[in-house]
This record gives sequence, C-alpha cells and structure tokens, in this order.
Amino acid sequence: MSLSTRWSRPALVVAAFAMAAYAMAACGKGGDTSAGKTFTIAMIAKSSTNPVFLSGRQGAEAAAAELSKAHGMTVKIDWLTPPNEDGAVQAQRISEAVNSGANAILLSSSDAGKVRGAVDEAVDRGVPVMTFDSDVPDSKRFSFYGGDDVKMGVQLMDELATQMGGKGKVAIIAGNQNALNLQARVRGVREAAAKYPGITIVNAFNHAETPQDAAAEVLRVKNAYPDLQGFAMVGGWALFTRTLLTDLDPRKIKIVSVDALPAELPYVETGLAPVLFAQPTYSWGYVSVNTIFDHVYLKKKVPAHVQMDLVRVSKDNLGTWARQLKAWGFADVDPKYLALPR
Amino acid sequence: MARAVLRSPQLGLVLVLLVLATALTLAAGSHVDPQTGKTINNFLNTYTLIQMATDASAFAIMGVGATLVIIAGGIDLSVGAIYALAGVSMAMVLRAAGPMDPVATVFLGLGTCLTVSLLCGLANGVMVIGLKVHPFIITLGTMWILRGVAFVISRAESILIPGALTAVAKASLGLGTALYPVPLLCMLVVTAIGALYLSRTVMGRHVFAIGGNPEASRFSGLNVPRITLGVFVLSGLAAGFAAFLGAAFYGSATSSDANGYELYVIASAVVGGASLSGGKGSAVSAMLGAVLIVTMRQAIRTLHLDQNYEWIIIGAAMIVAVVLDQRGSRLLAGRLSASA
Repeated sequence: MSLSTRWSRPALVVAAFAMAAYAMAACGKGGDTSAGKTFTIAMIAKSSTNPVFLSGRQGAEAAAAELSKAHGMTVKIDWLTPPNEDGAVQAQRISEAVNSGANAILLSSSDAGKVRGAVDEAVDRGVPVMTFDSDVPDSKRFSFYGGDDVKMGVQLMDELATQMGGKGKVAIIAGNQNALNLQARVRGVREAAAKYPGITIVNAFNHAETPQDAAAEVLRVKNAYPDLQGFAMVGGWALFTRTLLTDLDPRKIKIVSVDALPAELPYVETGLAPVLFAQPTYSWGYVSVNTIFDHVYLKKKVPAHVQMDLVRVSKDNLGTWARQLKAWGFADVDPKYLALPR
Repeated sequence: MARAVLRSPQLGLVLVLLVLATALTLAAGSHVDPQTGKTINNFLNTYTLIQMATDASAFAIMGVGATLVIIAGGIDLSVGAIYALAGVSMAMVLRAAGPMDPVATVFLGLGTCLTVSLLCGLANGVMVIGLKVHPFIITLGTMWILRGVAFVISRAESILIPGALTAVAKASLGLGTALYPVPLLCMLVVTAIGALYLSRTVMGRHVFAIGGNPEASRFSGLNVPRITLGVFVLSGLAAGFAAFLGAAFYGSATSSDANGYELYVIASAVVGGASLSGGKGSAVSAMLGAVLIVTMRQAIRTLHLDQNYEWIIIGAAMIVAVVLDQRGSRLLAGRLSASA
C-alpha cells in the first residue's frame, strides 16, 4: 500500500467533515463567540424530534435571554438533546457537558437507570443537575420540575370516563416503556379505571415516541379491538399527525390525552379528543432555567420538587389556549383558533 | 523501527487524528474546573479524552469483530441486536440469580453475555452457509429477530445491573474520581487480539484469502464454510463483550440498547480502510476509524456547532470521502497501467 492510499480515506473524511462544519458555521449555526461572563446550561431532553421538547427549548432560551439582560451577562443554553431516545447517549452527553465546562445541566431522562451514574458524577464534579418532565429518583439532582405523574394519569382517566358515560373499553397509549414518568401515568390511569365498574382497560401499548409510530400503534390497536370506545394517551404523540382525524369516528371513539400542541387542536374542534390536558412544555425550559439560575448563580434555596400543573383544554377555551401557544413562540397555530373569542 | 512506523498502514489515520485533535485543542477554548479551580482546555483534558475512548469502545470492539466478517467478504448487520440481547439476557440471569459474591457475579454476567452472543454468531454463520443466502439478508433478518427476542423476554423493561459489574467497568485504576479507563483498556486489548489473529495466525490469513478470492481459496483446499462460520462467531462474541462492558458501565440493560450501532460499526471499519468487497481491512484501523468518528462527534460539541447537524455532517463526510477515495484509486490504477 502506498503512503498516499494509506492517507486518503481518513484524510478525506476529515476534509469533508471540515468543509461541512465550515459551511454550517458560515450559515450562522456556529457557536457562541460573545465576550464577558458566561453561564452555560446544558439542556438534555429525551429526543430532539419530539415537538414538546422543542417547545421546552424555546422556553429555556427565552429565560436565558431575560436573565442575560437582567444580570448583564450571557446565559447560554447548550442544546445537547440526542436525536433519538437513548439513555446511554444521554449519559454520554452529561459527561460531555461536564467536560466542556457547563455550569449546570437540565435533563429529562429517557432511562433513569442508565443516567443515574452520570448525574451523580456530574454533581460530584461540581456541576449541579436539575431534571424536568422525567425525573431520576434517588440521584443527586437538586430539583425536579414536573407534575405528579400518577395524579396526571388519574385526571386523564377520570375525564375519559366522564366523556364515555362511565362505560366501555379503553386502551392506554403509553409511549416509551422505559420512561418512569410515563409508567407512573399508566399506573394512574389503571388506578382510576378501577373506580369505574363499566370501564375495561384492554391493555397499555408502548411505542417509539414519534408521531408516526404512535399513530400507527393507535390504528393497530383499533383494528385489534374493534369495540374499543376510548383511548387514554399519556402523551400526545399520535395527535401530532392528522391521520386519526379521518381514521377514527368521533361518534364512536373518545380520546383524552396529555399535551395540547398546535397540531392537536383540530382533535378538540372535531370532538374526537374533547379534552386535552396541556403540559406547559414551554415552562419546562422557562421555569427550570430560572430555577437553576436561582440555585446555582444566585445561591437561593429552591424546592426539591417544583410542581407543574396541567391545563385543561376543551372547546370552551380553545381560542385562549391557541393564543397562549402563539405567545410562547409556536409559529404553526392555525389562525382560525386564534380568532376564536375564548 | 522508523521505517516500520512509516510503512504502517495506520500511519495516515493516526496523523489525521493528531491533526484533528490539535485543531480542536486550539479552537476549543477553556473553562475553570469547579472542583480544582484550575483552567482546563475544553477538549484536551483527561476527562474528555477518556470519555471519548469510552464512547468509542463499543463501536471499536464490535468493529474489530465486524471487520473480520468484512475482510471475509461478508457483512454483519446484527451486531447491535446481539448487543441488546446479550445485555438483557445477562441482566435477567443476574436478577434471577439474586445476590452473590461479586467475583461470581462478574463471571456469571460475562459468561452469559459471551454464551448468548456466541450462539447468535453461530446462528448467523450456520444460516449464511446452510441456506446459501447473502449475509446481508441473513443478518438483516437476525437483526430484527434478535432485537425482538430481547424485547419479548425483557418485556421492554430497563433491568438494573448489579453494582459488582459497574464497579469493574468503572474502576478508576488509581486515575482519580470520575476517570474510568476500563473501556479504553478493553478496546485496546480486543484490538490487539484482533490484530494478532489477522496478522500472526494461519486462520487470520485464511480470512483474507477467502475474502480476496473465495474460488481460489476453495481450490487451494481451504475450508471456506468453516472459516465463514468462525468469523461470524467472533463477530458475535465481540458484540457480546461490548454488551457486557456497556451494560456494566451504564448500570442497566434494555432491548433498545445499541439501536443503530451496526451502522457506526460498519462505518468505523470502512473509514479505517476496509473494503466491503472483502480481502482488505485491519483491526487496528477499525479501532482508529471508531475513534475518528467519535472525535468528529466530539468536535461538533466542542466547537458548539448545532448538534442537530451531526448526522448530516458525518454522513456527508463518509460518502464524499469514500467516493473520492474510490475515484482516486481508479485514477491511480489507470495511470499505473498506462505507464506499465
């Protein structure tokens, strides 16, 4: 083998990499070059393809901009969320954040068992960790921002039972089987269902947390249980698609779901999902970044659990909620909902 | 000695890695370590380097096994699924066994991982030989089957691994807090074994022979089916060992572990210069290929490039590089034949 051929492939890989990276940087996607004091928060959500986490990122960046202005410094959000849910990759990203000098880490864990060690090591090395949405119990994180997931499940099932007149078969659409927060919501749904003698839970169905995978799972379940009358969705993934608007009959099926993002609002309008329980996903980032800054930079005392309450969205407040989403930076809110009086 | 180094087929990769590392060190900036108060470079620090080696270790260990298959003219797409199945099997066996002596726990875990992965590799090899179907199809099928088995038997649970295994995988070996060199050392040992197997044993030379020209090998009296079976078994074992290390390091195993790793593994071998048509490749180059890919990923973080572009950048870099490399080789071959 000649010297030139020995060199060629790895050198070309790096050359191509450098060109791509340079092109990207030239397009304005490069890193922060601002001078002065910088406080960096590494934000590691479950998946960068899930719109709820993108909304959380918007909230985090808005809080960072406000804090930067108020304190005359740069508060920066370093978005280190993996493209797909993977606890091991999240653990790697936590180490990377610590190694590159992040001042704090904000995490929604895909798999608490996989990231617990990395969280504890980050804290041991002087980088505080806060969790949101999906906690890492028994770790050294200083605070968690989120709801009581069991109560969320109970709230979901109580509402669905009301919509179904207290009887019928229900399937639980359960998302990623490894996420502790979703497991707790499923437990809540089952606990609440036990109060209604006319309600039968056929099963809880896990799936990859992408809109297409979730919608496909809903359709598979519907085909497998033709007499199904309700879906309790512990996350709104399936309703980010439009397909269920035509594939399910609102006169026969009722859905109650957690999340109420712009893509889900037509389901409220048609009555297929008469009630959605919105997680203020923007607040995941906004409240958490403020809590981190209070605790780490301003040395204030913060609670170990910052409570997050759900917002009940129905036809009665569809317009108000749509305007709230718009104010939070969602660009894809249908103008017809914005024009509603309330 | 100097001539041997200059003639080493890995020289190019090593120099490219050094150049990339130097550039990253210069561009990375620095931060104050909250524990020591010292200013440290964001890239060139012990934590980052060992963490990169840890990230690369799974790809590199599986890459050594996969390189054997690639040199023999095949491909193994099932390594990620073997990793997942071996990991959850180990976790379930250890959970069923209950608390034990730490040494026994480690040996039972390692034994389970290697046994399961050996059986998976054996199944791949037997089907490739017996059914006479291209390894791409067989291992594509087993990729789904094995991950499905992992999913069913684990009921998609994330199963915790006993602390005794984590203590081994995360032993600091005297380096200090939060520095874990075991995955790095395992990567180096597996690479050394792979390199010795390929370059210093008759069996290793046979692997090159059947990949370079299977017909000629057959006429030379080589037992091609047996060698093919052997490389799939070794590829499976490498994936099983990576699973043991990964599950022990992160402290849990799930059926979704190592999803998509097969592509990183194959990319590591290809970047290291392995030819997908067989007969060419090296264990050391596969390891360096894995380290190069992980370094590029790290560069995206260190330079604060938007990490959503990671797949685009690495994928584009791979295609452009391999296409240019092939065209360059053809051009060179044309010039050589013209001058002859």
